[in-house]
Amino acid sequence: MSTDNLHELIHIRHLTPSAFVLRMSRRGLKFKSGQHILLGKAGSIHNREYSIYSGENDDFFEILIKEVDEGLVSKQLKAVKPGDKLQIEGPLGFFTLNENDIHTSKFLFVATGTGVAPFHSFVKSYPQLDYLLLHGVRIAAEAYEKADYQANRHVLCTSGDTSGKFNGRVTDYLKNNPVDVNTHCYLCGNFNMIKEVFDILEQQGVPAGQVHAEVYF
Amino acid sequence: MKYHIISLGCQMNQSDTERVRTVMHSMGFAPTEEESEASILGVIACSVRQKAIDKVYSRISKWNRMKNRKSLITFVSGCILPSDREKFLKLFDLVFPMSELPGLPGMINHYGIVTPAGLQTLDAGRQDMQAAVIVSDKVARSILNPVAAMPGGQTLQLNPGKDIDQFWHVEPTYTSGFEAYIPIQNGCDKFCTFCAVPYTRGREVSRPSGEIMDELHQLVEKGFKSITLLGQNVNSYGLDKNGLEVSFTELLHQIGRYGDKSGKEFWVYFTSPHPRDMTDDVIEAIVQYACLAKQIHLPVQSGDEHVLLKMNRKHSMEKYRHIVHTIRRLIPEATLFTDIIVGFTGETDEQFENTRKAMEEFHYNMAYIAQYSVRPGAASSRWEDDVPYEVKKVRFQALTNELTKHSLVYNKSLIGKTLRVLVRGRDRKEGYLSAHTEGRIVVRFASDDASLIGQFADVRIMSAAPLSVEGERVGVMVSQAVD
Repeated sequence: MSTDNLHELIHIRHLTPSAFVLRMSRRGLKFKSGQHILLGKAGSIHNREYSIYSGENDDFFEILIKEVDEGLVSKQLKAVKPGDKLQIEGPLGFFTLNENDIHTSKFLFVATGTGVAPFHSFVKSYPQLDYLLLHGVRIAAEAYEKADYQANRHVLCTSGDTSGKFNGRVTDYLKNNPVDVNTHCYLCGNFNMIKEVFDILEQQGVPAGQVHAEVYF
Repeated sequence: MKYHIISLGCQMNQSDTERVRTVMHSMGFAPTEEESEASILGVIACSVRQKAIDKVYSRISKWNRMKNRKSLITFVSGCILPSDREKFLKLFDLVFPMSELPGLPGMINHYGIVTPAGLQTLDAGRQDMQAAVIVSDKVARSILNPVAAMPGGQTLQLNPGKDIDQFWHVEPTYTSGFEAYIPIQNGCDKFCTFCAVPYTRGREVSRPSGEIMDELHQLVEKGFKSITLLGQNVNSYGLDKNGLEVSFTELLHQIGRYGDKSGKEFWVYFTSPHPRDMTDDVIEAIVQYACLAKQIHLPVQSGDEHVLLKMNRKHSMEKYRHIVHTIRRLIPEATLFTDIIVGFTGETDEQFENTRKAMEEFHYNMAYIAQYSVRPGAASSRWEDDVPYEVKKVRFQALTNELTKHSLVYNKSLIGKTLRVLVRGRDRKEGYLSAHTEGRIVVRFASDDASLIGQFADVRIMSAAPLSVEGERVGVMVSQAVD
């Protein structure tokens, strides 16, 4: 077995009973914020795609994972211990920021659940970004590490209780708060949210070329 | 001693099989169409549909029963999901990824099988225990493509391993004397939800451009007329090398410049490009060179934005429309082919209607239309296949009607024109030959002259049908080098 793509687990950070962050050795792996990797236990034939959670300049490498009830890989990854080796393929994908826009444009990030991972990486890599993050969750406890975002740029939308900054889905928030048509919009999370947000942004006049999506299947 | 190979699936598998044949021939095995005559039975598997994988299980079950009567070696390679690979290990004697093909002689020798090539060595008095290893090394050298020879007469060390480069060094055994595939890339990074290729072939790896050009030169020198560059996403060629390899556009320029200089007549195609990576400069390159065929295969899969999202195609219809407009503007004579899936999970009538409208808008010359079926291992296999079979059939027929309507209009526009065609073989119609134009429109014409097969000819088009045209030969131009 090749060891070129093996990364050692440094520690595991449990955010909720089912969500956790794996911090691994970086080993010089280069990536662009927004890209994803295929991750599995060393020696296993099973792996899954996960967006990178950490920043481009961090010494380590982090992935945000939610344990899936009927899942195989997420359960295996939840059980790993510091010192264990994990197998990475990648980085892959095109859900990245255009370098020309980073310093000059306004960004809207819309996420559901662990779909917030690439936006966490964006914000860590480019602290000067002019962004607004809408994070849709069921309850406030699922606002994974919201302290990492500037409070005035983070809108937690809770659909299961009234603990968020906005009570309702991200789609409801967008309908009530139209988007400036010059905004670059990045959507990440479940397909139904992305489909609805696409339609809303289209109705609000945001050109399709400014809307980017990473669907979690 | 004989071998029999079953190749399932796409052009990539057909191309891979050409290299497997070389390895078999190098060991002294002769091909046979009859399984019962073979000592080695192999299958190049495809995981695109469950049906194809079912065929592999059915075949190995039969072959294992045959083992009760005779000594056989069985192997499987090709597109295999990890879960199937584990099961195949218990059923086949040899299971290996294509990247390990150069090691096949060694694997067979380790089974204690004396190959015909091995017998020659034994006859020559090399009856020591190292004979098998010697044969293996000798065979390994003999399957090397001459393009793998290093400068200064050094021979490249063939070290069977997991490196796809080693596979590309195997010289293919072409099944045609005038049409050939050149693999330029292996694997896929796109993760379309309906497709399992990223899980069977792994990540995108680009073949060195020097090797591609060398293989092209050899084919053209041998008189090949139609050459197709193959890859899962040909136009992302080179991106995996982070600037250390030329781009797909530059590769096309290199081919074009060679074509201009060679004085030979040949057509170079490529398949499949992905709309996401289809840039204007690719189309601009095609315009510039006579050898780059004016035919573009641009898979759309669906004409609906939401379905494209669900398929994880990573491009919009706006982007696709821009590409088609650029093709029409810069290469008005180009023919346009596509792939479409109907009845994808959750596809509504309205979403299907958007696909039908796309066909109306883009006037394809050919569309490979598939009714959606679950691809094991693909992300969409986790979703319910909820469009009823009858609905898929109706949608399939509606798109077929749309295709034939537009292709007939185009084909009728060819009537009265004299077109250059490549004669490919005898037609099903008695006394006719079948050919295709540079744009891959099928042309049939009356002739019994088999010597025309593999040659260019000029045909005046007399009549048109939806998917073919018919004409009269006005002369045969055997292509010659221009001084």
